[in-house]
Amino acid sequence: MKKAIIVLTILLSAAGIYAGGSTEDDSVVTIWHSNSGALGTAFDEIVAEFNSTIGAEKGIEIEAIYQGAANDVLTKVKAAAAVDTSTLPDIAQLDATAALDMMNSDYLVLPSVLGIDTSSIMPSALESLMSERGLLAIPFNASSLLFYYNKTLFDSLGLEAPATLDEFTEIAPLLGETDANGNVTRYAFAGVPATYELGAFIGAQNGLSYMVDEENGHTGTPRKVLFEEEGTFAEFLTHWKKLYDTGYLNNITSGVSTEFAAGRTATMLASSSNLSTVINTVGGRFEVGTAFVPKTNEEATGGVNIGGGAMFSFTESENARIVLEYLISEDVQLEWAEKTGYMPVNTGLYDNAEYQEFLDGNPQFRVAMEQTASSNPKVTGVWIPSAYQIYYSFQSEIRNVTENGKSIEAAVHDMAATVQNALDEYAAQNIV
Amino acid sequence: MLALLFSFIPLAKSFIGSFLTISQSGKVLGFAGISNYATLLSNQAFLSSVLNTLRFVIFFLPLNTFLTLLAAALTRKKHRANAVFEFIFLTPLAFSLSALALVFKELFRGRVSVINRLFGLSFQWLDEPGPAMAVLVIFGVFLDFALDYILLVSAFRSTDRSIIEAAEIDGAAGCRLFFQIELPSIRNMFLITVFMALKDAVLISAPVMVLTEGGPFRSTETVMYYYYLEAFRSGNRAAETTIAVMMVLFSIAVMSLTSRRRRDV
Repeated sequence: MKKAIIVLTILLSAAGIYAGGSTEDDSVVTIWHSNSGALGTAFDEIVAEFNSTIGAEKGIEIEAIYQGAANDVLTKVKAAAAVDTSTLPDIAQLDATAALDMMNSDYLVLPSVLGIDTSSIMPSALESLMSERGLLAIPFNASSLLFYYNKTLFDSLGLEAPATLDEFTEIAPLLGETDANGNVTRYAFAGVPATYELGAFIGAQNGLSYMVDEENGHTGTPRKVLFEEEGTFAEFLTHWKKLYDTGYLNNITSGVSTEFAAGRTATMLASSSNLSTVINTVGGRFEVGTAFVPKTNEEATGGVNIGGGAMFSFTESENARIVLEYLISEDVQLEWAEKTGYMPVNTGLYDNAEYQEFLDGNPQFRVAMEQTASSNPKVTGVWIPSAYQIYYSFQSEIRNVTENGKSIEAAVHDMAATVQNALDEYAAQNIV
Repeated sequence: MLALLFSFIPLAKSFIGSFLTISQSGKVLGFAGISNYATLLSNQAFLSSVLNTLRFVIFFLPLNTFLTLLAAALTRKKHRANAVFEFIFLTPLAFSLSALALVFKELFRGRVSVINRLFGLSFQWLDEPGPAMAVLVIFGVFLDFALDYILLVSAFRSTDRSIIEAAEIDGAAGCRLFFQIELPSIRNMFLITVFMALKDAVLISAPVMVLTEGGPFRSTETVMYYYYLEAFRSGNRAAETTIAVMMVLFSIAVMSLTSRRRRDV
């Protein structure tokens, strides 16, 4: 609490400095964003373009402020809102972990209130932000889970990317490599699935499955865990354990892309938005292939959910509407997609010649688009409280089952209890 | 006045808040009795964070104390060669914590990490629970070393020379002189560094945040990092107030324990 006060004081005074611009001067639209590196450069260019064209014409200026990773932006938004909603930015770029808090907040201004036309936005991206209050925010940087593989290695073995986890288990011993001392020098897969990956592995089962009720928390605050009674987590663990038992699954929770780029794992799962970075890191040592995420079983046909970020608005102003509509316009989304690898959210681009040309030149980027197109749009990310604790719990339970001989039944039960506790605690604290 | 504003009022607020049900937006929904504490103490993740913190303290405190004392003792005489060591020992102070943590993260990254190549090891440092804790301990020592070292060296050097000379005339030398005369004469400063290190160890969170994010598999999730996740990321007011209150009570307990000890001496 002591810390909280200090942080808040600093935030307050910092916010005061630039909030001055947005409150006294309505022509400035402040955006708190989370784009760094190549993404940051691309975003700054988009902002600069607005300020010198539409902005200059209409007397609006975007002030883009980098506030750290998406979850840092959320932390700051919540801190600002707790002090005084006038310290909030006009727009903040947040990810799915923010959705539950935003849905239950009284300071969020919905796109419908702003009167934004969303007819040109990718349906599954809209669905991913649909709540009991309607659409929460405007999708901006859409991504999904993607299966990355060492194409050079797969080609040399005459293998295709696996379509199901069982197929993966079959080829894993071929992909793996062991040295003379019995040490594994190359794994078939590295990484431990957590909430994001399970969104696909559980969500896709039987065409569509939810982890928690209220459609994964989208139609209301979730109260009940579903993955235990529906057997979906157990089903995943059963197949995953078989894959682990081949001896070529590496349970690591950090540095997965480093291992992939070093050729020490043949495949990995990561967000499609990492594609440019992965290709750069690999640096031509081998060809990077991308494919659909392997299905948990034959019936798991739901596909993947849309993740990434969206623009949440906190001011009801004409200028905010103009800025948001600019950000989802065809030109901006094309520029953004080409520079970052995010999927464009504007459907107008799907038959845009320039974008098709880009995809032809970068076929790995096309896979994410096709995977999303063939997914059930109702498969959505889960909105739960205590997201971080639950994330780590999933990893711990998967490790318990694979490495420590914990029974699948017990692991599923403990996991369900962890999530249920978080739901109960949240409901007790936030629902009157 | 400042202490009142920034310390006591929030503390009192947390204390009262820990017995209430408060919503994320700060609305008081009702009286919770001790249920906030009961929930927290039955939470596996919280209990494991307590264990992790204990584990960190057990490894970090003796190692840090031993190394800083050793370095300070070896370089306690003003000497040209010692100036070089002093410079080396003090350089960590010149860098920011997060920058150093990122360097450490790079040094220990993956099986092909720099450290593995240097020492011919094959740990996946940050991906195995034991080694990840070891990295955290090494980093902790690295962070605390410089300041503790300055304090100890200056304490050694400001010791009244006449006592040492008197002891030398009486025939004390080497180890005996060090352990029976010099070390006791810096006892107060030594205790200060030990308790500063203890405080740093119990409250460790920033290095965890940058280096391991509590992983792998929660093996480095300390109490304060858990607190950070629950209070700031999840907006769980119950966890926020109860942990804050318990940490303050814990510090008061340690403080009263040590001040009683000092009075005894």
